[in-house]
Amino acid sequence: MSLDSSRSANSSGGHRSKRSFNNSTSSNPSNYSNGNNKKKAKPSQETLGAASWGANSVPPSRSSFRKAPFSDFGSYMMEKNRKLHDQFDAEASTSSHSCSGSGKPIFHGISIFVDGFTIPSSQDLRGYMLKHGGRFENYFSRRRVTHIICSNLPDSKLKNLRSFSGGLPVVKPLWILDSVVANKLLSWVPYQLDQLANNQPRLSAFFAPKSSSVSKDVKPEGSFFKGGTSTDAYFSDLGESSEHSRQISRETDNLVNRNSNASLVMEPTSSCGRPFELTMEKPNNIDEDNKRSVRNELQSSPYQSSALATSNFVENHDMTGSPGSTVSGLSNHRHSTIEDPNFVENYFKNSRLHFIGTWRNRYRKRFSSLSNGFKCRSSNIEASAQKTAIVHVDMDCFFVSVVIRDRPELKDKPVAVCHSDNPKGTAEISSANYPARDYGIRAGMFVRDAKARCPHLVIFPYNFEAYEEVADQFYNILHKHCNKVQAVSCDEAFLDFTDSVEDPQILASRIRKEVIETTRCTASAGIAGNMLMARLATRTAKPDGQFFIPPERVDDHLSQLPIKALPGIGHVLEEKLKKHNVWTCGQLRMISKESLQKDFGMKTGEMLWDYSRGVDDRLVGVIQVSKSIGAEVNWGVRFKDVKDSQNFLSNLCKEVSLRLHGCGVQGRTFTLKIKKRRKDAEEPIKYMGCGDCENLSHSTTVPVATDDVEVLQRISKQLFGYFHLDVKEIRGIGLQVSRLESAGSLKQGLERNSLKSWLSSAAASTEEACNNSCTALVRSDTDCEGQGNEILGKICASSVWPSIEMDNNTSNGEAFLNQVSEPPPLCHLDKEVLESLPSEIFSELNDIYSGKLVDLITKSNGKSENISSSLSNSHVQVEGAMKKGHMVLCSDPFLQHEIPVEDKHIAMEDQAVLVSGAESNNVVLPDSGIQKIDLMPLSLSQVDATVLQQLPEEVKADILQLLPAHRKQDFSSNALSGPSKETPLESLGTKTAEYHSVSKGCVSENNLWAGTPLQWVVKFKVSNCLILNVLAEMYYELGSTGTLSAILQRVISLPKHQLDANRDSWDEATYNLCDLLKQYIKRKIEFDIEEIYICFCLLRRFAMKSEVFLQVYTNVFPYLQASVGENYGGNLHMSLKT
Amino acid sequence: MDRRENQSSEGETARILVEFLEVAINSIVFLKGVYPSGAFERRRYMNVVVQRARHPQLRDYIHSTVSTLLPFIQKGLVERVAVIFFNADCIPVERFVFKLVVNQSYGSKLEEADLEFSLRSFLIKLSVSESLTKVLPHDCRWEIIAYFRSLPQASMSKDAELWTPTDTRQWQQPPILIPIKSMSSEPLCLQLYLEHPSSSEPKP
Repeated sequence: MSLDSSRSANSSGGHRSKRSFNNSTSSNPSNYSNGNNKKKAKPSQETLGAASWGANSVPPSRSSFRKAPFSDFGSYMMEKNRKLHDQFDAEASTSSHSCSGSGKPIFHGISIFVDGFTIPSSQDLRGYMLKHGGRFENYFSRRRVTHIICSNLPDSKLKNLRSFSGGLPVVKPLWILDSVVANKLLSWVPYQLDQLANNQPRLSAFFAPKSSSVSKDVKPEGSFFKGGTSTDAYFSDLGESSEHSRQISRETDNLVNRNSNASLVMEPTSSCGRPFELTMEKPNNIDEDNKRSVRNELQSSPYQSSALATSNFVENHDMTGSPGSTVSGLSNHRHSTIEDPNFVENYFKNSRLHFIGTWRNRYRKRFSSLSNGFKCRSSNIEASAQKTAIVHVDMDCFFVSVVIRDRPELKDKPVAVCHSDNPKGTAEISSANYPARDYGIRAGMFVRDAKARCPHLVIFPYNFEAYEEVADQFYNILHKHCNKVQAVSCDEAFLDFTDSVEDPQILASRIRKEVIETTRCTASAGIAGNMLMARLATRTAKPDGQFFIPPERVDDHLSQLPIKALPGIGHVLEEKLKKHNVWTCGQLRMISKESLQKDFGMKTGEMLWDYSRGVDDRLVGVIQVSKSIGAEVNWGVRFKDVKDSQNFLSNLCKEVSLRLHGCGVQGRTFTLKIKKRRKDAEEPIKYMGCGDCENLSHSTTVPVATDDVEVLQRISKQLFGYFHLDVKEIRGIGLQVSRLESAGSLKQGLERNSLKSWLSSAAASTEEACNNSCTALVRSDTDCEGQGNEILGKICASSVWPSIEMDNNTSNGEAFLNQVSEPPPLCHLDKEVLESLPSEIFSELNDIYSGKLVDLITKSNGKSENISSSLSNSHVQVEGAMKKGHMVLCSDPFLQHEIPVEDKHIAMEDQAVLVSGAESNNVVLPDSGIQKIDLMPLSLSQVDATVLQQLPEEVKADILQLLPAHRKQDFSSNALSGPSKETPLESLGTKTAEYHSVSKGCVSENNLWAGTPLQWVVKFKVSNCLILNVLAEMYYELGSTGTLSAILQRVISLPKHQLDANRDSWDEATYNLCDLLKQYIKRKIEFDIEEIYICFCLLRRFAMKSEVFLQVYTNVFPYLQASVGENYGGNLHMSLKT
Repeated sequence: MDRRENQSSEGETARILVEFLEVAINSIVFLKGVYPSGAFERRRYMNVVVQRARHPQLRDYIHSTVSTLLPFIQKGLVERVAVIFFNADCIPVERFVFKLVVNQSYGSKLEEADLEFSLRSFLIKLSVSESLTKVLPHDCRWEIIAYFRSLPQASMSKDAELWTPTDTRQWQQPPILIPIKSMSSEPLCLQLYLEHPSSSEPKP
């Protein structure tokens, strides 16, 4: 009980402070209030009476028959409650009479208990209950009370909600209000208070736009309490509720946004239909409830059947002034936001700066074709020293005039745009119209200061949809009149009229006229010879005018111009210049370029020098590429614990990642900036602002550019860890990504030591399919195509094309093919074009190119492991690598051509032909001398593995035999380049090896390492010998890519008896294994001594277990050492260590 | 066109190879403990922890030696690169040999995972192969030697001048080889093995 009474003491404090506020704002919601004054005063007296209850003024009329004076506190309270009920009943009967008919008993059976501070106050709620047939309990009782009404709950109650509420629903006061408005009892479920225990306003919230409105609304309360009557509990309650609503709002923010947009239209009705008090004081709850209700609506909540209720919510929303007040807006640190307009998306979802920042992307998407179109031309214009005419068009106080374009009556009144129109607020004016500017109202000013200067200032919230619409209209007009438009912002652009025959002044006025007609907003224009002067001219022209600065007037115009007016001169630079006694451009001109550059740095110095002379050689249409992308939040950052901050950080990363995606870039350097509250810095003047802060930052660079959220999160967490900060001190966090690279050309030219980058870039340059976004490549691609088409044209005219070497980027070893005397006009032939040709044309073309087209196609396809079956079926061809010699393939019915090749020979034939004509082919091939092998290590790389694979065995063998043995290195390297090619190439390699060894006569002719599956596997499998079978099985188990060492590795685990062979199969096993090993050595020794080494180490182990292996080992070991000696000039060290 | 492409691709191979060699040689020198371990610092290369010489002169020696090999590797002239440890009498005690073949005609797409994996495995293997190596005598020296397929013309480039024709004392018997790692992929075949004097080698 005592808890209760102390609670009500608190709440009474709340009431009273509230009431004093009410009185000052002079609105009392209902008509019973007059007759009610006495009653109204009473509860507060009584609750105070918990301390001094003798002050009770009402005589205990009926209680007198019981014990009087009260025996104890309990009986007193009981009596008191009873009396209160009586009073209530009496009042209810009178009030339902007095107020005409509105008192439908919608709350019948409902008995509420109001806990703590509420908006509206408990007295108002009591009034509603009176009027609509409900009951109002002054003291909590589980039996009588059906609903607990409160806006906020303190921590202790939340933690122990059950014991506090006794299981009764805890509902927000909006439930009552809404029910009254709907004139029926609404379900309380959506109004349930589900607050979380956080009493510090936090940033998590700021990812939801609504949140800001909440905290804004909290603000006046806070300052109110500073006045003296503040109660801690009360304040924390507020904090909690705002916190709570934020958390809700995060979930619903989209819905709410939509809602808030829609609600703007209804504003007038709602504002007149609602008592002022509500609009001023209620927003937390209303917002919150509204959001909840909206959400529930969407979840098709059953209680929502009437459209009336829906509109009611919208209305409620309006009362908070929400659409505008949702904008959390401009922080104290405007410059930082301007530096980096790409703000965290949700945080600034409704922010003007964010709007401007994202607008550019939108614009690019919308007008990309147009702006790209002129970009190409603009470079040409640069060359011609034509007299330029640049027009700078700027809408006049865009943000205001768009909002009031449909309110002509406000045209001459001072109007400003701000996210909150709270006259006491520290919200910043974002834009003011000219009448307002006359009062000295400037952008960035706090609302309260603005209101002080101009009390009748009308403040409007943002209307981003309208801004977007007007900006689009604006640019449509600009693009209509001019093909060289450079967008500066959503309301500002440069036009280049150099090409135009018309007078730019006439054009400008026409554009302005059209803008006014279309958008009902005015625009100003400046016309001059360059962008700088055009912009300065606009300054003069404003508002709603235009101004032309002819070249001869530039100097005059500039001489008296204050330096601040020059773009690029901000506060800092201005101060510095003023120290140099420079106030105007004229004075600036006195200073030599050298000393300017000395004082201000090369670039700035030059800029100052140029600008003070009206020199500006920037071109219209040159879009600056952003160097960094990031997001920074400096407002409302308050963390309670590390988890909060981590949460926030990962949200920030998400935003940054989205931004990166949006711009199509990836970055390598990540900078985390943190604003830390300075020691003994006070709470900032601006509510939830960052105040006086130290700026800290850490950055890191990763080798590979990324835009991946997870990577960002990992990096930022790591960076965050470097700071070692108390998270409670953090007032702002920003993450910036620099060293941007286009995501399209990713991994090109990246960190040198990144193998991956090199690999992929190499792949990119060789792989046709890779569409690189790099313009250079694109250009060369189109070149290729163009040439290809040209060539095709010629071919179609059936002109005889000379026999020319043909090449392709993707071809592998054809570097030396170009040694033909004629220049190769086909070297850029586009494979894709060729492939898409009709077959007749293709074969014709193929003839003309001596059949190399097929070769090319097949080859490139083969390389990309994407064999075009149609082609390879009809034209399977083989390139035999030959040197120094001409060859005639007489037997080829399809291509009867002489192929003059200087260094190499490419033999290609139809498959059928090859089979039949293999003999002749083979006859010819040996003719080409095999000499100077060392200089020709690459010839065999020209063999197309896929083609070879399809040849009949005999033919293959023949061809392979013709290959010079020394080139086996190419085979092996080929063989290892990819698993899919491995088999045929392996066969190649071994064949060559065999060929080589045949001459030495030490290895059997049967190539065990050829074929798919390998021949030895086939052979071993059918063998009678167990160990051989086992080996074959192992091979299958491992899949066909297994190396011998891998197979042997598995054999280790076999039991001893399996390793040994019985007597009758002994010889077979030994022989086969020796054979196998020798061939394997031959195959691998040059490039993979490690593999051989491992195999023999394993063999040695087997040799200790198995006699067969011992014999094999002793047989093969000399051969191994000989081979090693031959290749490496040493002996293999066979130790037991491995 | 084609040739240029190939060359650039091959140039890349060579460049990567040179970079890798620098790291590997640093690791070898660290492994052999010629210098106190404090003379090295931990770095990361290809996501593997490697040791890099901290002393600027040592680092420079390795760096300049290897990087001036680049043009020769690009031309395919370099057959082997050896890191040789001598005893006080200038007789080699141990040789780490990189045998390399760069496929000059390489122009097709790479088995990227394969290559990266392989190069990395060299470094990993190298860092654990101390047991394979010999204990060095007290006052040893070491040097880097490259075996060329043919002697480069002196005028070839300025870098070439840094390389002087030399002949080191050879073992009289064929050495014993201990393979450390091999890789063979399309553009690059690389083998690293140890050479130790054979047991029959006359002791000095």
